[in-house]
Amino acid sequence: MVVDPTQATRRPVDTAAAPAHETAGAPIAQSNLWKDAWRRYLRNRAAVLAGSVFVLLVLYCAIWPFVSPYDPNEVDFALKNQGPNLEHPFGTDNFGRDLFTRTALGGRVSMGIGFGATLVILLIGVAYGSISGFVGGKLDNGMMRFLDTLYGLPYLPFAIIVTAIFGNVTFWTMVVALSIASWFTSARIVRGQVITLKENDYVRAAKAVGARWFRVLARHLLPNTLGVLIIAIFLELPGVILGEAILSFIGLGISPPDASWGQMAQEGRLVYRVAPHIIAVPSIAIATLILCANFIADGLRDALDPRTRET
Amino acid sequence: MTKFIVRRVFWTIPVILVVILLTFGLMRQIKGNPFRTSERAIPAEIQRNLDRKFGLDKPWYEQYARYVKNVATFDLGPSLVLRNRDVNDIVKEHFPRSLELGGLAFLFALVFGIPLGAVSALKANSWLDYAAMFFSNVGFAIPSFLVATLFIYFFVLQFDFGFPTSGWTGWESKVLPVVALGLAPMAAFARLVRGTMLETLQQDYIRTARAKGLRWRRVISLHVLRNSLIPVVTAAGPTLGFLITGSFVIEQIFAIPGVGRYYVTAVQARDYSVVMGLTVLLAVIVIVANLVVDILYGILDPRTRDVRT
Repeated sequence: MVVDPTQATRRPVDTAAAPAHETAGAPIAQSNLWKDAWRRYLRNRAAVLAGSVFVLLVLYCAIWPFVSPYDPNEVDFALKNQGPNLEHPFGTDNFGRDLFTRTALGGRVSMGIGFGATLVILLIGVAYGSISGFVGGKLDNGMMRFLDTLYGLPYLPFAIIVTAIFGNVTFWTMVVALSIASWFTSARIVRGQVITLKENDYVRAAKAVGARWFRVLARHLLPNTLGVLIIAIFLELPGVILGEAILSFIGLGISPPDASWGQMAQEGRLVYRVAPHIIAVPSIAIATLILCANFIADGLRDALDPRTRET
Repeated sequence: MTKFIVRRVFWTIPVILVVILLTFGLMRQIKGNPFRTSERAIPAEIQRNLDRKFGLDKPWYEQYARYVKNVATFDLGPSLVLRNRDVNDIVKEHFPRSLELGGLAFLFALVFGIPLGAVSALKANSWLDYAAMFFSNVGFAIPSFLVATLFIYFFVLQFDFGFPTSGWTGWESKVLPVVALGLAPMAAFARLVRGTMLETLQQDYIRTARAKGLRWRRVISLHVLRNSLIPVVTAAGPTLGFLITGSFVIEQIFAIPGVGRYYVTAVQARDYSVVMGLTVLLAVIVIVANLVVDILYGILDPRTRDVRT
């Protein structure tokens, strides 16, 4: 932990002004790290723009279905296959349903599965990576060999097999299918981080004063991997979102009546000759989300880990 | 070096065994049996004979050993749904098309991606760089089904360039699917090359090469490009594996009868031996691609020989 000299000199005054919660052991330096990171992130204009669009997209999917004047499931063939216009900003689909509302609903499903699978991937990664890195020795060697074995395997065939195992594809089936062969990278990242952190003096000090292994792991190692994990969320998200879209597109997605962006694209595919906007709208939504996630990940990497900053 | 290669090649054997075991374990979890359909009940005796024929009456480890033995002799077993068809026949019929599609898409990605990234890095922060990076970022994010559909919509339906919308016969039918499949890896290569080249340009040995009076062109071709390509080789292995093992989406859209399309059909028809055989085939291809990459890597960067097995 780096002590900020300005903080050190200002400290007595601060204590006088006084929040009582500044007792010994309160994570003062840590909150500075996050504030610094936030400041660095704000300096990256592309990342700020991507972050804003991302938040807007999430809000749109969360809120619009409640506010929308259109029933997303109301069929009206008189209105079918309309291109984007004033009443329907994204046009209407083959059944005359408002695409602006349906895209928001599809986004809920796609993003829900996306974040769900990312969370599972990270949880497995943290468990596997921290055990491997923390225990070290033969176990580490064996666990990493096992990861090497699986490295680079295409995840889609395995995702497809998992959907076949469950038969009826639901939200959670999809989450399992998309995470089962995608957690290898996150396990590797966590393990690398744990191994580096393990050599730090404060970890040795903690061990020296008799902290037990789970305390060292939970208190000193895992909180310090938080930065990489936050970056990893945005690195994993694009692959998962795209994976869900591909599975839905080839007809192995979650069962109706829920529609994800991938399923909307599949419906659009059937009528692309007359109404190409129906496949374009959900696809562009997917592309926007992935693009934002990539830029956010870049920005976060620069902000949270200044050592790796690109010139 | 020979020792490194031999060790690395031998290491693939347990890898393949583990991958087959995992696939085997997953496949066993799928409920249902193609012979036990409700529409056509089969007498118990015939059922027993069928089980015996396919080894289903044995414990799982014997089935696994039997399967591994068959795979080792390049026999992926019979199809469960199509009579008189072996999985081998299906692979022989469908795989060459996927191989060609993926191989061409891979070449496309390399041939256009590397120069795009290199130009971006050399003209960093120019409008050319911004345009190229905008293109790569969008190309990387946009789903392949939109690219493929828009290609058909614009290049076939709106403006007729003489490309067919589907099939895999003459070269005309191959242009659109190859480009649609190769676009995302091309964008990925361009981003990768740009990043590593910018990093390489900062290295001391580049300054040294410049200082001793080497021409800029020679510095680029001899030092910068060469060293920047190492990460591309690393990324190329899984990418090649990913591309030639069949694209589920592109093959579906362009109606190309490759393994990717057949895989989905087989899953839906519950043709487990085909699914199993194709999955093992895909895994082995990826493993071999990784092997080649590791060996190439060892040749390009001698430091890695000892670290990796």
